[in-house]
Amino acid sequence: MTTGGFGIIDLSWWQLGLALLLVIVVAAVSLRQRLGLERDLLIGTVRTLVQLYLVGLILAAVFTAARWYWVLLILVVMAAIATHAAVSRLAKPIPGVYWIAAAALTISTAATLTYVIGIVVQPRPWWEPQYLIPIAGMILGNSMTSAALAGERLQADLFARRDEVEARLALGFAGREAVQPLVRAALRASMIPTVNGMMTVGVVQLPGMMTGQILAGASPLTAIRYQIVVVFMLAVATALGSLLFVRLAAGRYLTPAHQLRRYLL
Amino acid sequence: MPDAIFQVEHLSLTYPARRGQPAATILTDVSVDLERGGALTLVGPSGSGKSSLLRCLNRLEEPTAGVVRFAGRPITDLDPRELRRRAALVLQTPVLFEGTVRENLMVHAPGVALDVSESRLRETLGEVGLAATLLDRDAAMLSGGEKQRVTIARALLRDPQALLLDEPTSALDPPNATLVVETICGLRDNRGLSIVAVTHAPELVRRLGGALLYLVAGRVQACERVHDGGVIDERLQAFLSGTHP
Repeated sequence: MTTGGFGIIDLSWWQLGLALLLVIVVAAVSLRQRLGLERDLLIGTVRTLVQLYLVGLILAAVFTAARWYWVLLILVVMAAIATHAAVSRLAKPIPGVYWIAAAALTISTAATLTYVIGIVVQPRPWWEPQYLIPIAGMILGNSMTSAALAGERLQADLFARRDEVEARLALGFAGREAVQPLVRAALRASMIPTVNGMMTVGVVQLPGMMTGQILAGASPLTAIRYQIVVVFMLAVATALGSLLFVRLAAGRYLTPAHQLRRYLL
Repeated sequence: MPDAIFQVEHLSLTYPARRGQPAATILTDVSVDLERGGALTLVGPSGSGKSSLLRCLNRLEEPTAGVVRFAGRPITDLDPRELRRRAALVLQTPVLFEGTVRENLMVHAPGVALDVSESRLRETLGEVGLAATLLDRDAAMLSGGEKQRVTIARALLRDPQALLLDEPTSALDPPNATLVVETICGLRDNRGLSIVAVTHAPELVRRLGGALLYLVAGRVQACERVHDGGVIDERLQAFLSGTHP
């Protein structure tokens, strides 16, 4: 057992091997209860190992290289993966949805990141990967989840409530006005998990970032300050991400002549 | 036609092919006119394109070819929102929003002036045969016939020149259907409204009179005026006598 740079216990290979025993317990449960999950469990375990090792190697290289363009490239790749993940959850394709999701996630992440990095945390230099990458990752991940949630809800509602939308159009509403109640419902649905999370943060479980900082030897009082910034930052990122995504996506279902493109539903 | 409210000229509608579904032809070369204050009923088997034709009239649907004129002007020259207020559509299943009857009648697009004074609301409800006491009733608690008449009243508050009705009686039981038919005919007589109705109900056709358009697979099979509740074309006769498939 050796200690790392921050007084943290550096896990050795055999310690990782011991952790692997936990997965074997899960496999045993799956076998005994005939859950049929062994195959997925094996794939999941291998992917966890490979993906995290790769990410670790890449991040270590980027940290050592200490160049802003490498950091930026990492952010672009993360945004592309988040875009793909958000889109793939939709039940039916929306024309141009990749661009919509990319725009929504990039704008919401860039805006939140600029404020948090540039004004609140102020690392020197601004692109310091130790700050920029994990914070951007949290923002992207949450924006992605909420945008996907909002998109799913909008799509389901447009189908279930299409007569209601057309009734409004027939009463002389503009397309945007006719879908507004559905947009609102989708935004609410996507933001509720974030708002609920704010109610129980730290009480039910310690958030990942705070846990990480405490494990790395930071004082809990420093950790909570970061966590507070993170909670507020994620609230605005999810709101912005889902708002942009739903607004743009709803627009794809409407024509300039205030018609609902029923064939897309 | 000198004083036509609607002129439909060589209208075709095709939905584009999409993901495994071939292109679908809904309407082919449909032409028909309706004079101001007149009535036109669209009949034909299910899937014949009646509702689509109706939805082309207020531009909820965009035809692939052909022209629809409203009061002489191509509807593509009009603001669709304005067109839809002047040619009000009433759907088969009445759509009422959450809230009271009053709130439903007062629904209007932001920034659009609409006279929804108490006296006007009462008067309009009276026009569709409903009591003013219904105003503060929860819209969800109304019967099917009452709901349909509230949606007609809501359309009337916009002072339309034409009423487009998509199977207005098909979701109703016979007594309620009769009441709605009477309401519609009353509006035509008292307000001079032009009426286009998709219907399977011979009673509505006989009472409304005007022209009868028979569509099959998106094509006009027959079109003639109803005289004294009767027609010449055999297929239309079969429809009016209720023996239509």
